[in-house]
Amino acid sequence: MTEINWPWQYSFPPFFTLQPHAETKAKQLAAWKSLTLEYYRITNQAIVDIREVHSSPLFNNVSINRKLSSDMVLVIMEELENSGYACALDKSRQRWLVYWHTLQEWGEIIYNWVRDNGFIGSVCTTFELTDGENTTDQEFHGLDPEVLVRALRTLESSNRAELIMFDDNQGVKFF
Amino acid sequence: MRRRAGVGAIHKQKLEQEKYKDKGTEIQENQLEQMSKQMEVFRINLEKFAAKHKNEIKKNAQFRRQFTEMCASIGVDPLASGKGFWSVLGIGDFYYELAVQIVEVCLATNYKNGGLIYLDELRDRLIQARGRRKEHQEITNEDLLAAAKKLKIFGNGFSIVPLGRGRHLVQSIPGELSMDHTAVLQQASQSGNAYVSKSLLQKELRWESDRTQKALDHMVKEGLAWLDLQGEEETLYWFPSMFTACINSSS
Repeated sequence: MTEINWPWQYSFPPFFTLQPHAETKAKQLAAWKSLTLEYYRITNQAIVDIREVHSSPLFNNVSINRKLSSDMVLVIMEELENSGYACALDKSRQRWLVYWHTLQEWGEIIYNWVRDNGFIGSVCTTFELTDGENTTDQEFHGLDPEVLVRALRTLESSNRAELIMFDDNQGVKFF
Repeated sequence: MRRRAGVGAIHKQKLEQEKYKDKGTEIQENQLEQMSKQMEVFRINLEKFAAKHKNEIKKNAQFRRQFTEMCASIGVDPLASGKGFWSVLGIGDFYYELAVQIVEVCLATNYKNGGLIYLDELRDRLIQARGRRKEHQEITNEDLLAAAKKLKIFGNGFSIVPLGRGRHLVQSIPGELSMDHTAVLQQASQSGNAYVSKSLLQKELRWESDRTQKALDHMVKEGLAWLDLQGEEETLYWFPSMFTACINSSS
């Protein structure tokens, strides 16, 4: 696993307390947003479960004995949602899907690869896209399957792809 | 027969007094004229000196300090005005340039320190931005303080907070800091921890609870301090401007 390059804020104890002052809070949340996305990118994760945040070193810095409250993690998730980098997976908003490119961006990245490699008009399985030999050098290699499907749906809505479900496999045809 | 003082004698005396007086005024005027002449000569010499050593003044920090000290001792402020003969020499330009660079560094770091920066950090960043040549590097804290003083003309948006022990903070946000706020900053800096707490201030400064809370709330409201509710015993107020990892971070 690649080392995380923790920003200075991560060792700054009040970073783990939601700031009351509007301007300071804006800076704090901006820093949390970029740190969260960076952490999820490097560790290649996609799920934030608010009930279990303290098992994640991201939200619990044991070396300075500071951790985020669940409420504050929710605030960060909602901030990410507003800028298109996360969405809630359940109604109680406890489980979240996080992605360091927006779904539209992921869609474009995948579509560009498909076009450049002549797969327009053919069917691929989602497994081929994220785990196939052809994509090992691609950023979407190893991407969370849920994020992938949602990214493909953005292509579907612009009529550039169609998701096909068969048995317990998922396939996609590109146009 | 004893001669009594007559009217003629009184007249004579009066006349002499007037002559003395005239002479006195004449001498005084002479002296004044000479003094003015001397001052004029001195001014011209100082001007010549400054012109001749202009480059030296700009390049050599030690020399620059001695020169400004000399000017100060005779009541000349080479930075006082952009007009007049000093401006021709460009002595002020050096400090104006520094002042602009100070503002640049303050603006560039504002997003993380809230508009408060140690003079030492300011100096490091400024020198880094100035280029590698020796003359660009030799900037002393005195130079920065002299230049920063000039920024006062922009109102209270810019000021120097002395912390004692030769340390200074440069404040670049509008809104004046009171004596109490300065005292809070001094305590935070002297503690070496980059934070203060209510009990620490009450103990060190012998303040009442209300006064302490008011000063701390102000620091938070101005974006200078961050609240930490996870301290072991009480709320802590942290200053990113004094937090080592923040000072050292390049971003």
